[in-house]
Amino acid sequence: MLEATIEILIKTIIILGLPLGSLPIIIHVERRGAAFMQKRLGPNRVGPFGLLQPLADVAKFMFKEEVQPAHVRPFFYTAAPMIALVVALLPLACIPIAGPIEAFGRTIYPEVFRSEMGIFFAFAVSALGSYGILLAGWASNNKYSMLGALRACAQMVSYELSLSTSLVAMVFLYGTNDIHAMVAEQTGYWFGFLPRWGFFLQPVAAMLFLVGIFAESNRLPFDLAEGESEIVAGYHLEYSSMKFALFFMAEYIHMIALSALFIIMFFGGYSLLPGMDLIVDQAPSLLVVLQATSLIIKVAFMIWFFVWVRWTLPRFRYDQLMSLGWERLLPLGIANLIVTVLFVYFRNQ
Amino acid sequence: MAMDILLTLLTVVFALMVVFSKKTVVAAFSLLMTLLSLAMIYFQLGTVFLSAVQVLINAGAVAILFVFVMMLINLEEFSNNRERNKVKLVISTFTMLVVLGVLALVINNNIETLSIVNLSDSSMTALFDKLFNSYFLPFEMATVLLLASIVACIVITGHEKHGKEELKEQDKMGVE
Amino acid sequence: MSIYYYLSAFLFCLGLLGTIFKKDLISMLLCVELMMGGVSLLFILFSKSTGFLDAQLMVVFTLIVSACEVAIGLSLIIALYRKKQTIYTDDIKIITE
Repeated sequence: MLEATIEILIKTIIILGLPLGSLPIIIHVERRGAAFMQKRLGPNRVGPFGLLQPLADVAKFMFKEEVQPAHVRPFFYTAAPMIALVVALLPLACIPIAGPIEAFGRTIYPEVFRSEMGIFFAFAVSALGSYGILLAGWASNNKYSMLGALRACAQMVSYELSLSTSLVAMVFLYGTNDIHAMVAEQTGYWFGFLPRWGFFLQPVAAMLFLVGIFAESNRLPFDLAEGESEIVAGYHLEYSSMKFALFFMAEYIHMIALSALFIIMFFGGYSLLPGMDLIVDQAPSLLVVLQATSLIIKVAFMIWFFVWVRWTLPRFRYDQLMSLGWERLLPLGIANLIVTVLFVYFRNQ
Repeated sequence: MAMDILLTLLTVVFALMVVFSKKTVVAAFSLLMTLLSLAMIYFQLGTVFLSAVQVLINAGAVAILFVFVMMLINLEEFSNNRERNKVKLVISTFTMLVVLGVLALVINNNIETLSIVNLSDSSMTALFDKLFNSYFLPFEMATVLLLASIVACIVITGHEKHGKEELKEQDKMGVE
Repeated sequence: MSIYYYLSAFLFCLGLLGTIFKKDLISMLLCVELMMGGVSLLFILFSKSTGFLDAQLMVVFTLIVSACEVAIGLSLIIALYRKKQTIYTDDIKIITE
């Protein structure tokens, strides 16, 4: 009992601490990346190359005065950012950072929560993600915030459909919803050089999932809810200082969790990047470290992709967004599912 | 044993808040918490899949619908100015206690046959085996029911796109 | 573990109390959902105590039907609100107007 508790505690600290600790790096990457794409310099004064800028940001958030307007509903106003952050952290609980480790006489699975439902846990709890936004918009007692919150909630619920249809197609293809088994199916190479990633088997599902994760984390081009030029700041208008920082953190962590899921299903999860198995042949004990490094590199690339798209594409209008989700992506997802089912059926014959 | 009592207490507290809170939005969020506590109970009983389905559908879609509709019709502005009828409360509580008493007696009499022996996780493959072999017809009918309810919701809320001729005079002034 | 049987009976009766007692349609629907929650819990307990998995499938179907019912109920409430500007059952006395 005690060693089970210690094991879960260590796993939690590592698996939840990594995204939280990498937040300052991501914020810095976003600001420098934005500047790079807009042909300007970005923050470069605080520390060498501006690397201490996120630290300055955190210090600002901590010391700034928290203005709570008199017209908000107090309990829900305080609860909304906390709910948003906790629900954003939950999908990370089922994501392993490496393969099963044989140590201390038994097999340790490096994921915080291991159960029979595997990857469905992540989707079940990411369905709760709309509550933080809904509560924030409603508690602010402000028409613009309410409008932003309703729009964000409708958008998140609609794009869960495209996530779910591509998830079902991938689970059908791999035949399992255990993450370790999914990654094991994606190790190895075709024709000696092409990795057996799910992206090459199901590009349509990968595109659907990619669009879905942009919409679920309310990032451009789907960030109508917090669109700065239209409804001022949407649902986090009335929030200042640390509560706003919590929403900010929740959005980035949601991005990280959803990217990790995308990579598990379509890019091989923690399976080694093409050059790395030469290193493993030399030193087999480094396998766990290399797998974790592969996952981190892939997730880092996805985060860069998020930043890249944010500063490249314009924002969707609300009716365009809804029509995209329901009229184009959902039929595409169902068609993809039918094709996958037929493919799996004839493969098993 | 302590876990049972804790989860039961949690569910009871939130369920009481659903029924007895004065603001309807508080009741909706308490319903969400009740459904999440029920999901925890399902997980403790070993039905892992049903716990995930409960969070995904009941807490992640049905309760969101409730909160969404409450915000759309802006419930707060008129939810506080209706008094409670004390007599009605007493009579309905009495009815409820009678029904509860009967149910508790029935459970009490049969508690030995109802005791739960196997807390191991139910296997998902066995469940889906049954679903797709014995219960395939209800499954397909549930699909048709979902489609019918989608169509019904769209028809009832009647989203017409009439274009420009529905604009009232003052709206037209603003457009030009 | 047997306390869950009492919990399910309690949830059902509490939902019943709420459905009788509440005045606005949305709260009534909330309490009906509470009743459904209690009944689902009872089905799962039965499935665990007898070992038949059919009861868990009942829960899945009950969930699907309850989701449809909530959706249609809420859209009816929205349509009613558009016509009568109220959702209190005391005010809805005349069917045609």
